[in-house]
Amino acid sequence: MRRSADADRALFWTLAIAAFAAAAVGLASRAVDRGAAGFEQDQASYAIVRVIAPEGPEAVSAAEAALNGAPHVARAEPISPRRAADLLAEWGGSPVAEEDVPPLRLIEIELEPAPPQVDVAGDVVAALARGGVTAEVVQAPAYAGAGGMAARVRFGALWGAIAFAVVAALIVSLAARGFASRRRELVQVLADIGATRGQAAGRVADEAARTGLVAGLTGSAIAGVAGVILILLFVPGASFETLPTMILPADTVPLAGAPLLAAVAAAMGARAGAESFYAEAARLA
Amino acid sequence: MNSADPDLFELGVLARLSRVNAGYDAGDTVLEGADFEIRSGEVAFVTGPTSAGKTTFMHVLRLALPPRSGTATILGADVGGLNGRGRARLKRRIGYVAENPVFVEEWSGTANIALALRMAGRKSKDYAEDVRELIEFVGLGIAADEPVRQLSGAARRRVAIARALVTKPDMILADDPTAGLSPEAGRRVIRLLAEMRRVGAGVVITSQDESLADCAPGGRWRLERGRLSPLDHVAPENAEAFR
Repeated sequence: MRRSADADRALFWTLAIAAFAAAAVGLASRAVDRGAAGFEQDQASYAIVRVIAPEGPEAVSAAEAALNGAPHVARAEPISPRRAADLLAEWGGSPVAEEDVPPLRLIEIELEPAPPQVDVAGDVVAALARGGVTAEVVQAPAYAGAGGMAARVRFGALWGAIAFAVVAALIVSLAARGFASRRRELVQVLADIGATRGQAAGRVADEAARTGLVAGLTGSAIAGVAGVILILLFVPGASFETLPTMILPADTVPLAGAPLLAAVAAAMGARAGAESFYAEAARLA
Repeated sequence: MNSADPDLFELGVLARLSRVNAGYDAGDTVLEGADFEIRSGEVAFVTGPTSAGKTTFMHVLRLALPPRSGTATILGADVGGLNGRGRARLKRRIGYVAENPVFVEEWSGTANIALALRMAGRKSKDYAEDVRELIEFVGLGIAADEPVRQLSGAARRRVAIARALVTKPDMILADDPTAGLSPEAGRRVIRLLAEMRRVGAGVVITSQDESLADCAPGGRWRLERGRLSPLDHVAPENAEAFR
């Protein structure tokens, strides 16, 4: 009896740890998704304008003025030699001296979000033309856009979390079969007194589902607390005051889903085990 | 096999076996050509040595072991034609005391006894008094409130009997119910079970101890090497239980 209580306690923590792992992976997936989405957004909102004509440094100033009144442009700033040296160092991996950078006719622009069907680059070039400047817009490279690396990362994070949840559910389900084996005597008694297979297995499954739900809530709560601590420690500007605005409703899906997953998987595993024991008890040949 | 025969039940026949052979899986036939009948209000006392087939005979009557051949009609239904649900429905009308009863060990005797009533959807306040009376009837007393794992062999047997009787079944099957009990306790158990004939139940008792047959009125049967044969009949006035 003592052994059975110990085994039930061990099962509870097995389910709690599986739920914790599933919730933690889900939260990590959400973090990766939000990071990739942010990166995608940053890339889509950034472009460089190369001034082609007229010649001379006044053209860059004229272009800057035209851009600051152009549609879709939130901010425009010519690339200084210092900024160019920093960018080249960042891309090339080795330091670049400011004096080695030739005069540039480039302006960095920050774009406002626009629907996909809008020709942002065309509108910007037209605004520049109205300001007497011929220029071209160099947009973010293709790998940063939809269907590129960021999208693949988001896709991978989602399906990785789903795959992990399936594995966690299988672990919970198998552990719950052990739970059913410890209710074998109850199943046999129920079979003897005329309970149907559904009644006997349902009773064991209900008990397993309750255990799974409580264990899942425990695991989820631990994952949630750990997630909040990690945000406070590692996300710049995060505090208890900013948390409510930082956490989106979608971020809580793994925390809400893990207990439900644990309950359903535990019920299914326990039911399968109990049905098999019932079949043995109810009919001996 | 014949189809269900509810008329047989209307005539008071609770169970009828005709040339029934039974065994387990691909193993040898344990029960061979058994002919048997028990009616409402009757007691049948089946004796036989170890491994004679007494438990197999009980398994056939309690619908756990389908006959390999022959006809078994239990509570008006042909056992061969029953599905799982139908079998479960009939089992609710059979009280079974196993040779080694299985309980939910951490539950109290009362909880084990009341399980069948709870499964039937009855509320505890509706059945509490009935269960209490039954506990007194089988002589369990306050031991009924203890977890079954803490009870003596005799008390466990009483819990098993009370559990078998709690739903007021049509037929009561007791497989070697005196095993492990003192002779006096064994006789009390047999008398207790035989009492149930007064409320119209059919009672089938198996035992290795032939002397116990004197405790109960009704038919005596002998089961040896899988073969069941009738012996004689103890009239109620001659049964110890009713003297």
